[in-house]
Amino acid sequence: MIEIKSITKTYGKKQNAFLALDNISFDVPDGMTIAIIGKSGSGKSTLMHAMSGLDRPEIGEVVIDGENILTLKQRKIDAFRASKMSFIFQSFFIQPNETCYDNVVLPLEIAEVSRGQRRAKVEAALAAVELGDKIRVKAANLSGGQKQRLAIARAIVNEPKILFADEPTGNLDSVTGGVVEDFLFNYSRTNKATLIIVTHDPDLAGKCDAQIEIVDGKIYSTKGLKETSEGEIA
Amino acid sequence: MKISDTIRRAGRSLRQAKARTLLTSLAIGVGAFTITLSLAGGQGGRDYTDAIVKANTDVNELLVTKKAPQANAIQEYAPNTGGTSTGPLGRSVATISNADIADIQKIDGVESVTPNYEPSVNYITTEGQKKYVATLATYSPSVALEYAAGSVSGELGDNEIILTQDYAAVLGFANAADAVGKTVVINATKLSTSFEKVPQTKDYTFVVKAVSSKSGLAFRSQSSMLISINEAKNIYTYVNEGTSAYGQFLLTSVHVKDASKASDIKSVLASKGYDAQTAADVLGTVNTFINVLLGILLGFGALAVLTSVFGIINTQYISVLERTQQIGLMKALGMSARDVGRLFKYEAAWVGFLGGVIGSGFAFIVGTLANPLITKALNLGDISLLKFAPTQVAIVIVGLILISVGAGILPARKASRLDPIEALRTE
Ligand SMILES: Nc1ncnc2c1ncn2[C@@H]1O[C@H](COP(=O)(O)OP(=O)(O)OP(=O)(O)O)[C@@H](O)[C@H]1O
Ligand SMILES: [Mg+2]
Repeated sequence: MIEIKSITKTYGKKQNAFLALDNISFDVPDGMTIAIIGKSGSGKSTLMHAMSGLDRPEIGEVVIDGENILTLKQRKIDAFRASKMSFIFQSFFIQPNETCYDNVVLPLEIAEVSRGQRRAKVEAALAAVELGDKIRVKAANLSGGQKQRLAIARAIVNEPKILFADEPTGNLDSVTGGVVEDFLFNYSRTNKATLIIVTHDPDLAGKCDAQIEIVDGKIYSTKGLKETSEGEIA
Repeated sequence: MKISDTIRRAGRSLRQAKARTLLTSLAIGVGAFTITLSLAGGQGGRDYTDAIVKANTDVNELLVTKKAPQANAIQEYAPNTGGTSTGPLGRSVATISNADIADIQKIDGVESVTPNYEPSVNYITTEGQKKYVATLATYSPSVALEYAAGSVSGELGDNEIILTQDYAAVLGFANAADAVGKTVVINATKLSTSFEKVPQTKDYTFVVKAVSSKSGLAFRSQSSMLISINEAKNIYTYVNEGTSAYGQFLLTSVHVKDASKASDIKSVLASKGYDAQTAADVLGTVNTFINVLLGILLGFGALAVLTSVFGIINTQYISVLERTQQIGLMKALGMSARDVGRLFKYEAAWVGFLGGVIGSGFAFIVGTLANPLITKALNLGDISLLKFAPTQVAIVIVGLILISVGAGILPARKASRLDPIEALRTE
């Protein structure tokens, strides 16, 4: 369970202050797929960063499994992300000069998974995105869709309970994007993992259990979500 | 992240920027090259001088001179304590008399005192051969000699002589072995012969006991022929008796019972007005010279390393900038700031390691190739002037790794402080 409690994030100081997130609250039950939608610049990515502890909003709480991650020490948040979360970005962020294996094994190294278990996990993750035969191939030689699938393999290799995807299909054509979406939903379903997708795409949003629409840093509307105690959902 | 994984990732990042890694390493390699070569030269040089001193001096022996009077001080006249003879440039030089020798003999720990007889003779010859100018020196069993033929164990007998290879050849012997057992004649002139008479000369006959070979180390054996101290004293007495210089020695050697007491006896001698030089002193003087030379070379090496430090800082900064996204991603995936910093420090360490290995490896190759040439050019026999000690090379490499890590600290800090959100925004 992820509980977001009255998160407020301001960029800049004094006259230049810009309210990127304004008192946002909602709960995400375990295993749910949820889409964060909204216009460009509305604050979707900022919200995702706050939910994952990458960013620390000045007001509010992000309670995951009963623990407010915003008050944890940096080391603890890092360890938390390494063991429980993962990310997929619009522009892949894979290492083109490294092999698929070396790309995918990174989260296992960060989480200090023992060496003996790594190979099997990497192979399973690559097989799950149908890149099993590319394990020794340099990432630079993959197509765009394959690169994003590689990014998904890297994201799921350590079996995170929460998966964040920021515009995962933004750089892909609709067919390739559809394949990538299927892998994401598949992972969420088989592993009962929470999937949080930031997207412009109404079709993709429609495939999710719930939707949150952000306008100017505020929740404009929700679909499929229960109201929270803070009662800030419009 | 485990250290071993961090080190492997660091190595892989470097492999992906091969040209840059190599160039940065080469800069530090120049320093490693210079330092390794100068250390090898220092080691070889010290070993070489050590060997020279061992071959030419005796650790139980002190070379004693009398302290020269102060340049401007007026000396009290002392009729019995030796005199002053006029040395080079007309400066007076104190000499050691027989009374001084008796005095030194009384010092505790002194075994024997032998004045430096080394008499001047006219020539050496053998039957049916021409006469050749010769110098004589005294034989000491504790000074190492290399022999071309024959050998001497223990003391050299009176009437026995050790020839050099050159003299053996010039005196008409077929080879060094042929000379052993043959007789040679040495002729000396009595100096005190009054001038109305014909100069008095005398022949001394010696049996050749051995022929010393040319050696890169033993300088004495190359020019002087060696006779026993007794025989040297005989000739000295014949040549100098009746002259004013008779019984006045510039130099005397003091043989001590225990080599470890040599420096104690040296200070006793100093308090009595003598200058004494131990074998260690001789070695020390030569080694000071070598150390100064070594210091200069090391200075150049250090300068090269300093320059390469800025090279490392520069390339590591560029590397951090280039890999902003990668750093952001690793941090988003939960890599701690400390581990990100480490990744870059280990990269710097790899550069230092590579530079050290390239530089000292190259120095080793160059040194190994140059050694025979140097030995030939300086006529050192079987001596190698560049000696590579594995521990020294290891210390150089480890030192360079540490220096490189030091240079990598600032860029690594920049990397570890990068905000992952900012880093991932850069497209
Ligand atoms: N570091 C920052 N300093 C100042 N303003 C910022 C900063 N980061 C983001 N913003 C502003 O916050 C707002 C929300 O940004 P965010 O990246 O969350 O938008 P988004 O909804 O993800 O948009 P897009 O769909 O284009 O990715 C934007 O107006 C942006 O300009
Ligand atoms: Mg965004």
